[in-house]
Amino acid sequence: MNIIVLIKQVPDLVEELELDSSGKDLDREWLKYKVNEFDDHALEEALLLKEEHGGTVTAMALDGQDIDKALYAAAAKGADRVVKITGLEGNPSNHEAAKAFANAISGMDYQAVFTGVQSVEDRDGQLPVLVAHYLGIPHVSVVSGVKIEGDKAVVYKEYGGGMMAELEVDLPAVLGIQAARETPRYVPVARVRRAMRSTEMEEVSAGDVSGAAAGSEVARMFKPETGQGAEMLEGSAEEVADKIVSILKEKGIV
Amino acid sequence: MHETREVFRLFPQALQIAFYLVGFATIFYFLFGSYKIVQKYRKGRPAGRWNQLGARFMKALGTMAKHSTLSKRNKYVGVAHWLIFWGFVVLFIGTVIVALDHDFLRFMGVHLLQGKFYLWFSLFLDVFGVGFLVGLLMMAFRRAKKPPELDYTRPDLPQGKYDRKPYVTDDKIFLWLLFFIGLTGFLIEGLRIVGDNYPSFEVWSPVGWMLAHALDALGLSAKANTIFIYTWWFHAVMVLGFIAYLPHSKAMHILVDFANLMFKDDLAAKRLPKVTEEKMKEGMGYLKLTDFTWKELMDFDACTKCGRCHVACPARASGAPLSPRDLILEMRTFSEIKAGTLEWFMQAESNGWTNKKEPAIAGDVIKADTLWACTTCMACVEACPVGIEHLTTIVNLRRTLVDEGNMEDSLQDVLMNIGDYGNSFGQSDRMRAKWTKELDFKIKDARKEEVDYLWYVGDYASYDQRIQSISRKVAKILNDAGVSFGILYEAEKNSGNDVRRIGEEGLYEMLVEDNMAALEEASFKEIFTTDPHTLNTLKNEYPEFGGHYKVKHYTQLLIELIKSGKLQLKKKLDYTVTYHDPCYLGRYNGITEEPRELLQLLGVKLKEMPRNRTNSFCCGAGGGRIWMDDSKLEKRPSEMRIEEALALGEVDCFIVACPKDYAMYSDAVKTSGNEGKLEVKDVIDLLEEALS
Repeated sequence: MNIIVLIKQVPDLVEELELDSSGKDLDREWLKYKVNEFDDHALEEALLLKEEHGGTVTAMALDGQDIDKALYAAAAKGADRVVKITGLEGNPSNHEAAKAFANAISGMDYQAVFTGVQSVEDRDGQLPVLVAHYLGIPHVSVVSGVKIEGDKAVVYKEYGGGMMAELEVDLPAVLGIQAARETPRYVPVARVRRAMRSTEMEEVSAGDVSGAAAGSEVARMFKPETGQGAEMLEGSAEEVADKIVSILKEKGIV
Repeated sequence: MHETREVFRLFPQALQIAFYLVGFATIFYFLFGSYKIVQKYRKGRPAGRWNQLGARFMKALGTMAKHSTLSKRNKYVGVAHWLIFWGFVVLFIGTVIVALDHDFLRFMGVHLLQGKFYLWFSLFLDVFGVGFLVGLLMMAFRRAKKPPELDYTRPDLPQGKYDRKPYVTDDKIFLWLLFFIGLTGFLIEGLRIVGDNYPSFEVWSPVGWMLAHALDALGLSAKANTIFIYTWWFHAVMVLGFIAYLPHSKAMHILVDFANLMFKDDLAAKRLPKVTEEKMKEGMGYLKLTDFTWKELMDFDACTKCGRCHVACPARASGAPLSPRDLILEMRTFSEIKAGTLEWFMQAESNGWTNKKEPAIAGDVIKADTLWACTTCMACVEACPVGIEHLTTIVNLRRTLVDEGNMEDSLQDVLMNIGDYGNSFGQSDRMRAKWTKELDFKIKDARKEEVDYLWYVGDYASYDQRIQSISRKVAKILNDAGVSFGILYEAEKNSGNDVRRIGEEGLYEMLVEDNMAALEEASFKEIFTTDPHTLNTLKNEYPEFGGHYKVKHYTQLLIELIKSGKLQLKKKLDYTVTYHDPCYLGRYNGITEEPRELLQLLGVKLKEMPRNRTNSFCCGAGGGRIWMDDSKLEKRPSEMRIEEALALGEVDCFIVACPKDYAMYSDAVKTSGNEGKLEVKDVIDLLEEALS
């Protein structure tokens, strides 16, 4: 069972976000990056399956901010190969990214491609389906939990109203992972450092991504106005806490 | 009349030879057992403890002679053991002199045991012999009262899952065997005196003399010589039995514990061992018996089950599945099974790992829950009379758990936060100095301006909303006193004290590197901090990485400022307070008097809790516990501590000198339902009041 996991670095939301002068993107100069949370779950699910069934896990990412760190961390967690796709300039669209990934994957021996269901950066959720499209293989998204049964995967999805669905999909397939069965593992710093010394970072060219246009673009990015009906409590932590308590008392909740 | 006594009195030649044969066989068995013990330690890694042998030896000798560690907080046991110990030593030396005299010097025409020397020898041995018996009876009496220290119940396993009756048997054999050896020794003396018809010089053996009269009174004088022979052999068999039993039982501590004290590291637990380059490559922690240092292997054998750590441990007291005593004993059982069993009285354990071929030390032998329960408060190491370093073993095993990712999610998140942002709060490192914005002056940036004091603020004092106001008070008071001080702003990261104690050594090393680089950029003379955890690692652990700093606690700095007149107290406070010694300040670094002196200067009345200074009781936050789930505890250590304070009666304030303590105890007052009865304050709160 060989699984390829696509990961991506996204802006760390712990920092205050500022817009750049164009008003269409974040000011990325001072941003810190971290692995997209859903991708971390995708990697965890892949590693769990590797522990159960053997095989390999390959972590793959487009070249970009702090991507080496993320790939080495994946290696430290247990990924056997790490692949960096180079040659895409700037901030490629998901269509271009998917094409680049598909180009890199198509020659490889694999039974499944996992990636996060979406990223906090664009809430697009299209990457998994696009990769599946370019590879011409099945796709399921918003997956939480994967079981392998022969040449099929049984995947779980959470439907609305508290219902769970079990789906069967032929392998190879692309799965957009919402949550792994377990919390993504912690990787000790010593292991990351070791991985940085001992892991060979493979570099693959993005290949031809022409014709993979997005068809849409960001026209404006902005901070939403505070909506009606919401009251923002201002002041120090103590003042805010006092206000919350008095409101709760007023409403008869406490 | 010739003042001496006959060795092998009334002995036919054949029996003498028989005795020597049995004696040699026993001694050979003893030496073989001892050799096996040494061989076991030789399997361990180097411990780096062969330096300053002379000083180590003298220090251990002093501790042993005075019984200082044994008498600490338990005078009764101290006295009893002192009597047994010195009785044993004197009787042993006496026996050696007899052997020397009879088996060697005799053939050179020398006879020591006669005349005046013999008389003083007799008296000396009698007196110490009585002490020996009295000490043993005191211990037997104490055992009968079942003190909590001697309760062998394990907190980590349900009753019936394990069997420790062998331990009880061993305790009984050890105590009563020694007692009857001593008693029969006196009986032999009495019988000899009766049999010899009271030679007048034998009054120098007063116990024997009195026993002789007692035997006479019982009408046994006619049979004295027959009974003598039987008693002699009974005594001899017990003594030889004891010699054989010694390396395989509780009595082993006679062989091991002096060495364990001698090789104890004064900085044990305060400065945790580094992980070697080699170990870093294969998972930081301990995976097999040979990963332990020989000192750690010796620790397992050194335990006499005195239970002081068991009683002192806040995890055990709060119902967590950890007892430092049981952890050490479990490791002893493991080391015995792995290295070849020598122990005659082993606990029977049915928790599964003994049946496994290769049980994981961290996980099977010592359960993960047990290892994570430790607050690293060091009460066990401090309480241990024989120099066991429980904490190094615990942290080394935690390192294995961290490497395997075997930890709570909340702890994992904190480690990731510290790795990503340098603080446990998961907030941006750029917000670290945000608490200073509300001040009406700017704290100097020590990276840009030269200062006398670098204030290493720490995570809680920087990010916790409740503690930021305390930090601001410290800043304001120092500023008013005209102290030249600065901070590192966003370049400061978590000092790593607790990260290291969680067992994340790689992250700790990274923090040390980053912090040392930041400190390198700054120019200052000394460091001070309000956080005892930070103080500990900067003072005791950074030097091993090349970071040598003078580090002070703020209470020390504040006293200097008051004494030099830079801070003028305007009024005396009339509160009655109690003071809680933070583990990392008092027990770890011996700073117990400065905070008290400060309180005295402020005029408050200080009532001490029963457990104070180096015997302070942990709040439960250390070693990463503050980031773990404590909802499963029967009772939180912090709540027990608040109740200890309330039991003093009429105490207005519970004074702390540690940011984590402030957070823990403010919570504990509420969760224990004592809100309004006791106010938790930092020393700086009181000082501010006295200054205004």
